[in-house]
Amino acid sequence: MGACPSVPSAVSNALPKDAEVGIMSVMHLSKILMTLLALLIVLPASAQLVQNPYARIELKAGPAEAGARTVAIVMTPMAGWHTYWKNPGAAGVETRAQWELPRGASAADIQYPVPSRFLVSGIMNYVFEGESALLVDMAGLPQTGPHRAALTLDYLVCDDSICVPESAALSADLRDIETSDRQIAEYRSALPARDGWTGQFAIESDVLRAAISMPGAARVTDAYFFPLIDGALDYNAPQAVSVAGGKLVLETAAGYDPGVTEIPGVLKLFMGGDAVGAELLLSAGDVPAMGAPLAAGAPPAESAGAPSPSLALAFGLALLGGLFLNVMPCVFPILSLKALSLAKGGASPAAARSEALFYTLGIVTTILALGGALLALRAGGASVGWAFQLQDPRVVAGLLLLVTAIALNLAGLYQLPGISLSGDGAAASGGKSGAFWTGALAAVVATPCTGPFMGAALGAALVLSGPAAMVIFLGLGLGLALPFLAIGFVPALRHRLPRPGPWMARLRKLLSLPMFATALGLIWVLGRQAGVDGLVIGVGAALLLGLALWWLGMSGRKILPMLTGAAAVIIAAMVPLKAQEGAAAAVTTAALPNSAAFSRAALQGLRDEGVPTFVYFTADWCITCKVNEKGALSDADVVQAFQDAGVRTLVGDWTRADPEITDYLASHGRAGVPLYLYFAAGDEARLLPQILSADMLIALTREPDTA
Amino acid sequence: MKLLFLTAAMIALPMTASTALAAPKIGAPAPAFTAMSAEGTPVSLSDYRGKTVVLEWTNKGCPYVKKHYESSNMQELQATAARDGTVWLTINSSAPGKQGHVDSAGAAAEMAHFDTIQEAYLLDHDGKVGRAYGASATPHMYVIDDEGMLAYMGAIDDRPTSDPADIKGAQNYVASALGALAAGETPSKAATRAYGCSIKYAD
Repeated sequence: MGACPSVPSAVSNALPKDAEVGIMSVMHLSKILMTLLALLIVLPASAQLVQNPYARIELKAGPAEAGARTVAIVMTPMAGWHTYWKNPGAAGVETRAQWELPRGASAADIQYPVPSRFLVSGIMNYVFEGESALLVDMAGLPQTGPHRAALTLDYLVCDDSICVPESAALSADLRDIETSDRQIAEYRSALPARDGWTGQFAIESDVLRAAISMPGAARVTDAYFFPLIDGALDYNAPQAVSVAGGKLVLETAAGYDPGVTEIPGVLKLFMGGDAVGAELLLSAGDVPAMGAPLAAGAPPAESAGAPSPSLALAFGLALLGGLFLNVMPCVFPILSLKALSLAKGGASPAAARSEALFYTLGIVTTILALGGALLALRAGGASVGWAFQLQDPRVVAGLLLLVTAIALNLAGLYQLPGISLSGDGAAASGGKSGAFWTGALAAVVATPCTGPFMGAALGAALVLSGPAAMVIFLGLGLGLALPFLAIGFVPALRHRLPRPGPWMARLRKLLSLPMFATALGLIWVLGRQAGVDGLVIGVGAALLLGLALWWLGMSGRKILPMLTGAAAVIIAAMVPLKAQEGAAAAVTTAALPNSAAFSRAALQGLRDEGVPTFVYFTADWCITCKVNEKGALSDADVVQAFQDAGVRTLVGDWTRADPEITDYLASHGRAGVPLYLYFAAGDEARLLPQILSADMLIALTREPDTA
Repeated sequence: MKLLFLTAAMIALPMTASTALAAPKIGAPAPAFTAMSAEGTPVSLSDYRGKTVVLEWTNKGCPYVKKHYESSNMQELQATAARDGTVWLTINSSAPGKQGHVDSAGAAAEMAHFDTIQEAYLLDHDGKVGRAYGASATPHMYVIDDEGMLAYMGAIDDRPTSDPADIKGAQNYVASALGALAAGETPSKAATRAYGCSIKYAD
C-alpha cells in the first residue's frame, strides 16, 4: 500500500479545477497524509479486504480440491462509479492482477462476468457498475500447510466525469477466507456461458456485419457484442440487430483493423427483462443481409443493394448444384435424350439455339415458381424448406404418375405427338413448346434429387431477402439448363455427339431403367408417408395411367383413354395424408447403436450429461441421406467405433414437415436435409460434410474429449 | 454504405446522434480542422501541409496524462519532435464545467507549469475536432504525415497504467511512428487502443 500512486490522484481530482497548478507542495503533503490514512484503514482490517477511496476490493476463496480452488476478487465501486471489463472499450484500462503464490502453485487468467455498456458523451466504456466478482482458477496449491496468497490489483475506477486509478494489495491464507461452493457457483453464473457459440462476420465498406446462428433468435429483444480484441469494430458506433432466417444479424461500424480474421468476444442477449451472455467467436465468412428488426431493437440499417460477395458465392454454389443435378437418375435420361434429339442432323443452328433457350426458360420458370411458392409460404409463417412439396404424399403420388409416364414412354409402351421427350420430331414446329415443357419436366423431377451442393446455397436463399433468394433459385435453374444450353449454342459440341442410328432406340429403352428406379424410390417414399394403403393406391393409379397412355397412343378414340387417365390422377389424389399408426415409427434407417428420435430437449440432455452425440437429419425422399445411411452410417466399423466410444445418436426425420426440425436446420443455415452434426463431449457442434465417409466418422470418436 | 448506415443509426438513436464519434482511417487524409489556440489565433491543420504533425489530446486532471507530464516523458517527446521539425498540437476537448477544461489563461498556466514544447495548444471546447478524429481518451495521440495522411492513432505507449515507473522500458508508439516517417517508411503499428480517461466532451 505504501507505494500506491492512486490515492493522491484521487485527491487532486477532487480539487477544484485549475487549482492544482502551483500547489505541488500541498499535493505532496496530501499524498503523505492519504497514504498514512490508507494504511490506518487497511492495517486493522484483515488483509483480505481493502477499502480504497472509490472502490472496495475483497478476496474470497472457494473450497480446495486436490490443490485447486477458485478465488474471487470481489470489486465494489462507489455508487455511480464503475470498474472495467477486460477490453475496457474506447477509453479506460484493463484490471491487472499480480499474484504471489506458494511454490508450484499457479493462477490462471481472470474470468470476467458479462459486462455492461456505459456510454458517456458518445464514448463507449465496457464496465461493471456495482459489485463484480472476477474469478481466478488456481492449481498446484500444497496439499498440506497454508495457502498463502498475495495479490496486487491495479484497476481504474471512473464515474461519468473523472477517472481514478487505484491499487489494492491483499494477502491472506486462502484457507482462512474460504467461502461456500454455492457462493462461488453464484459468482460463476455471472460469467458468460461457454457453449462454444460461433458466428461469421464480414467487413464491407467500413461496415462490419456478423451473423450468429441461435435457437430462439426470434425471442431476442436486444443484443450487443462485446469484442475482446481491439480494432475489429468501432466501440462508439451503435450496433443494429436483426433476425434473418433463425440467425441474429448484427451490423456496426468496423474498426481500424480491416485484416482481422477472428473476433473473440461476449454476446449479451436481452430477452424481455432478462440478460444472458455467452462467449462467442466470430470468424470471417459469409453473412446474410440484415433481416427483420427485433421487437425492441433499433431498426436495421439499409441492407446492401448490390449483390454482396456472399450472394455471388451462393449463386455460384446453386449453379454448381444445378449442374450436378443433370447426372442424377431422375434428370439424366431427359437430358441425354434431349441432347441426342439435337444431334439428329436435321436441326439447324438457329433451331438448336431456340430449343436450348426454350428448354432453359422452362427450367428457370419452373424453379422460380417453386422457389417463389416456398418464399411465399415462409413469409406466411409456415416452416417449410426446399423440396417441401415432397412432404405431401399427394404430391409424391403425382410425381410418381409423372415419372411412371416418362419411364413407360422411354420403354416404348406408347408414343404421343407433342411430347418431344424422345426427340422424335424435335425440330418440328412444336419444338419450342416441347422444349419448354421438357425443361419444366426436368425441373420438377429434379427436386427429389436435391444434390449435396445445393444444401448450402438453398440455405442461404432462405435467409436472404426475397429478390436475393430468387437470384439463388435462378442460379439453380441455369445450372440445370447449362449442359443443354451449351449443346444448343456450341455447334462443335453438337458435332461431337454420336451419329444417330438404331442404337438410339436401344439407349432410350435402357434409359427407362433409371426412370423406373426413380419411380420405385417415390413408391417407397409414398409407403413411408402414407402406409401400405397409400402405396397401393399410388401404384394402382400408376398402373391405370399406364393403361390410359397406351390406349391414347393407339390413337383414334380419345375420350375413353382420357377419362381413364383422369381417373388415375383422381385416385392418386386420394392417397391418405397420414400413415396408419406405427408406419412411421420405424426410423431404423441406419444401423447406428443407441439411436433415438431427435428433439432439442433430448440433445440438450445428452450435452448436459457430457455424452458424445451424433445428430443427423434425414428424409426418405433425400437420396444423399439414404446413400449415407446405407453406406458410412451402416458400416460395421463405424457401428463398432460408436459403440466403443459410447456415442449416442439422435435422428431427425424430416420426411414429413416438422417445424422443430425445420427451425433447427435453419439455425445451422440449412434449408433442407441432410445435416450431420457431431458434438464431442462438452464441445460445440461440429458440422460434418454432406457426403460421409466411414474413416471420418471413426476418427471423430477417437478424438480426445475437449471437456 | 457507411454514410447510409450512420444516417440510419442517427435517426434510430437520437440520444447518441449528437455525440457520435467518427473514426478516421489510417492512410486516408486526416480530417481538416480549424481551432482557436490559447493565444487566440485560429490554427488550421492545412497550415502545416508539408510537415509531419502530432496531435495530442490532453486533460491535466487525468492521471494517465499526469503520468507522462510529471515524469517529463511527454515534454521529452515534444522536444525530440520539435528538433526534427515536426509540428506538435496539443488539443483540449474538455467542455466547460468538466474535468480538465481550461480557458486561454488556464492553458498558458498549464504550459508554463509543465514546460511544454508545442506549436499550439488548441481549445476545442465544443469537441468538434475531437469528434472528427474519434478521440476517446486522454492521452490520445495521432500522427499525420507531411502529405496530410493519417499515419498513426492510438495510445502513447504499450503500458496502459498510471504508474510513471512503467514509462522506462515501454515502447513509445508515437516515437516509433515519427521514426518510421523520418525514414520514409510507414509505422509498423499504425493503430492501437488508446488508454486512459475518457474525453470529457460536452453532453
